[in-house]
Formats: sequence, structure tokens, C-alpha cells
Amino acid sequence: MAGTMQKRGRGRRVTGILALAFILVGLYFALIEAPPDAYQGEVQRIMYVHIPSILTAYLSFFIVFIGSCLFLWKREKRDDILARSAAEIGVLFTSLTIIEGSIWGKPTWGVWWTWDARLTLTAILLLIFVGYLMLRSLIEDENRGAVCSAVVGVIGFLDIPLIHMSVYWWRTLHQPPSILRPDKLPWENVHPSMLIALAVNFAAFILLYFYLLSLRFRVGEMEEEVKTLKLYGGAS
Amino acid sequence: MSAWGFVFLAYGIVWFALLVYLGNVKRRFRKVERELSSLRSSGGLKKNA
Amino acid sequence: MELLKQTLWVLWKDLLLELRRRESILAMFFFGTLLLFVFHFAFEIPAEKAAEMAPGLLWLAFLFTGTLGLTQLFQAERENHCLDALLLSPMDRASLYLAKVFFNLFLMLLIELVVFPLFWVLFNLAFWNLLPSLFLVAFLGTIGFCVLGTLFSAVTLKARARELLLPLILFPLMIPVILATVRGMEIILRTGKFEEAFSWLRLLIGFDVIFFTVGFLIFEWVIEA
Repeated sequence: MAGTMQKRGRGRRVTGILALAFILVGLYFALIEAPPDAYQGEVQRIMYVHIPSILTAYLSFFIVFIGSCLFLWKREKRDDILARSAAEIGVLFTSLTIIEGSIWGKPTWGVWWTWDARLTLTAILLLIFVGYLMLRSLIEDENRGAVCSAVVGVIGFLDIPLIHMSVYWWRTLHQPPSILRPDKLPWENVHPSMLIALAVNFAAFILLYFYLLSLRFRVGEMEEEVKTLKLYGGAS
Repeated sequence: MSAWGFVFLAYGIVWFALLVYLGNVKRRFRKVERELSSLRSSGGLKKNA
Repeated sequence: MELLKQTLWVLWKDLLLELRRRESILAMFFFGTLLLFVFHFAFEIPAEKAAEMAPGLLWLAFLFTGTLGLTQLFQAERENHCLDALLLSPMDRASLYLAKVFFNLFLMLLIELVVFPLFWVLFNLAFWNLLPSLFLVAFLGTIGFCVLGTLFSAVTLKARARELLLPLILFPLMIPVILATVRGMEIILRTGKFEEAFSWLRLLIGFDVIFFTVGFLIFEWVIEA
């Protein structure tokens, strides 16, 4: 038991150090090495954090889903802690995605907010995450709270493709295509350092995410242990 | 605000928030670790007593 | 089958209770009508725009009215430990889910049947011939609402501030239904043809089927928690 804890701790530290390395390299590529975009100028650099952020947010939601499913099926505390941790970090990354998107939008579209499909979808994702966490905090019984928020986690995830479809249809049927087409990612004629910047930052975010998740998960596990010890006394 | 201004604003917020969260989690980690070790040691004492 | 019998039995109980006290249905009906009045004061709706805004306003009214119904949905079971009694019986939990879904659906449909024409009269709309198609779209949307709403009504049953929490959790998940219903109705009002709204209707039906199945399977765990 102690052996796996140590191995996990070591793995976590390695992930953390790798994350830091990739973050620093990523920052270099994003801010210095990569050239400014032909149409959007320097502002396009925000994409190097925006795209990894949104992907990490969706990854987080997927983990909430998996944790919730496992918990509903097997009722092991560990899965609930995983879901809870992923939800917390997911809220963080989703909020950041929205803020980044908004900051990018101001110089590009001239407005801080627009109801385009991507921003709207991210906002909805945030609302579902928040609902998950609020439900948890407002239900007093621990176990019931875990089951009920797991239901939100499962249904929320299943709903996402439907929400995606409906929001995209709604936007494409009503919004005239914008002149700049800033949503299009031009994959041809792209300077290689832009791709590298994106890839490195993406790796950095994923590593950072798993580092944070593993840390938060460990905290959750230990808090559970504390609770058990206080309840029953004596060593575990 | 200039283009770079927006870039630094975005990057600044992102990394600031992530650092704050990381600090938060680490603080919780240390606190619960302390609590756990104190409970364990006192628990051991109770068992022996 | 046994499941159907149990469902009908619980449904019959709820309908009978409602028939005698008429708490939910009256409150919901008056609330829905009140919302229409408030909309009239809140939004300056010129005659030309009334048809455009009708689907959105109507669906908003139904959404809030329906939420009112949802918070009341398990009220009878909460009093006097009725829920515990039900759970102690060998009744299939899913039949409780089905009964509650149908009950809420029944209430909402009744109200929609009245509020739809009322809206038409209050806002001086034409297109009376389109009402059946519009109602069909609303019916599909209402199913989606009841299916998820009943599940989350049970989920928030023992939570604090559940009147706030229920819409907070439910509404984001309802967005496909809201979009599909309102857009579908809008298309029908604009083009007069039912076929144009088919893609939205397919989405609605898909939503209803998926979450009816999920709710049916998951409800048991929720209600026993």
C-alpha cells in the first residue's frame, strides 16, 4: 500500500516537472518563436492557450463522466473523489477558456462577448460543471450527494453531443458567415513554429492538468481517510 | 489596448489563476497531511493504551 | 405487465389527489397566464413581431410553469414518510419514475392546451390553422422536459435551496430541447410547412428517447439514495 503511494507521488512529481518544462518551452514558442498571424496579428497567440484550455476542459468533463459512471456502478469512494476533483479543475479550465476567448474576441470581433457556437458551448459546459459542484455542496448527506452529482455527471456528458448539435445548427442557420472567418484554422501554409507552439502548449496543458488532478485526488483521498479516522478512531 | 496588451492580459490571467489554484491545492495537501499524521500517531497511542 | 400496472396505480393516485385538491394545476395555470401578462409589459411587442417572438415567449412561460410543477412533483411523497413507505414496498422503482413523468406531462399538456390559444388571443395572432402543428412540437419538447425534469426533481429532493437548484441544474441540460422547440415552432410559423422543421424535430425525438431510457434506468439509484 505504501509502495504504490510512493510510486504515485513520484509519478506525480515527474509529471509536474515535465509540465513545467513544457510550459516554459511552450511560452517561448508561443510568444517569441512563432510568427504573428497574417490576418489576426499578435492577438492570435492567445490561441496557443485557448485551444489547449478548451480541450483540457472537455477532457476533464470526460473524466467526470467516467468517474460518475464507475461510482454509480461500483460505489467505490475513490471514483467519486476522482469525479469531484475533475469537476473542480474542469471549472477552472472552462472559466479560463471563456476568459481567453473573450479577450481574443475583443480585438478580433470588436466585442467582449458574442453568442457564437464555441463560446456559447463553453459557457454551457461551465454551467453544467457548476451545477455538479453546487448540488454536491447543497446536499448534506455525503453519500446521497455523491450519487446525485454522479447522475448530473453522467447525464451532462450524454447531453453534450445534443447540446453541440443544437447550438451549431442554431448558429449556422442564423448567423451570416463573418468576413474574417476567425474560426477557421488554416492548416495549409502554416509556419511550422506555429504548429510546434500549439503542440508544445497542448502537451504542457495536458501534463499540468494531470499533475493538478493527481494532486487534488490525493488531497481528496487523504481527507476521506481523515474523516474515517475521526469517525472510528484508531489507525486505519 | 495594443495587440500585445491583449496577449499579455490573457496569458497573465491564465497563469495567475493556475498558480493560485496550484497554491491552494498544495496548501490543502500540507494541511491534510499534517492532520493525517497527527491522527495516525495519536490513534496508535490510543491502541496501545 | 406488472410494471405498467404499478405505474398506472401510482399515476391514478396522483391524478386523484390532484383532482380533489387541484393545487398544482391551478397554481401552474395561473402562473403561466401571469407570465404572459408580464411578458406583455416587459417586452414591447409590435404586431408584426408577435408571431416571431411567440414561440420563445410561449416556451419560456411553459418552462417556468413546468419547473413550478416539478418542485411540487414529489410533494405528496415527502410528507409523512410516504416515500419510505413506497420504497419499502416491492414496487419497481421505475414505475414510480414513469408515473411521475406521465403525471407531470399530463399537467403540462393540459396547461399548454389552454395557454396556447390564450396567447394567440392576447397577442392578436392569426395562423390559427398552424396551432396543431405547433402544439405537436411543444408536445415533443414537453416530453423532454418532463423526462429530465422528473429525474432531477428526485435528484434535488433532499437538497437545500432545491427550488433554486433544480432550474440551475436542469436548464443548461434542457438547451437542446429549448432550441429545438422554439426554432421548430418558429419555422412552422414562418413557412407554414411542417416538413421544414424536421431536423429539429428529429433532434427532439432523439433527446426524448435517449433521456427517457437513461432516466428509466438511473431513477432507481437516485430515489434510493
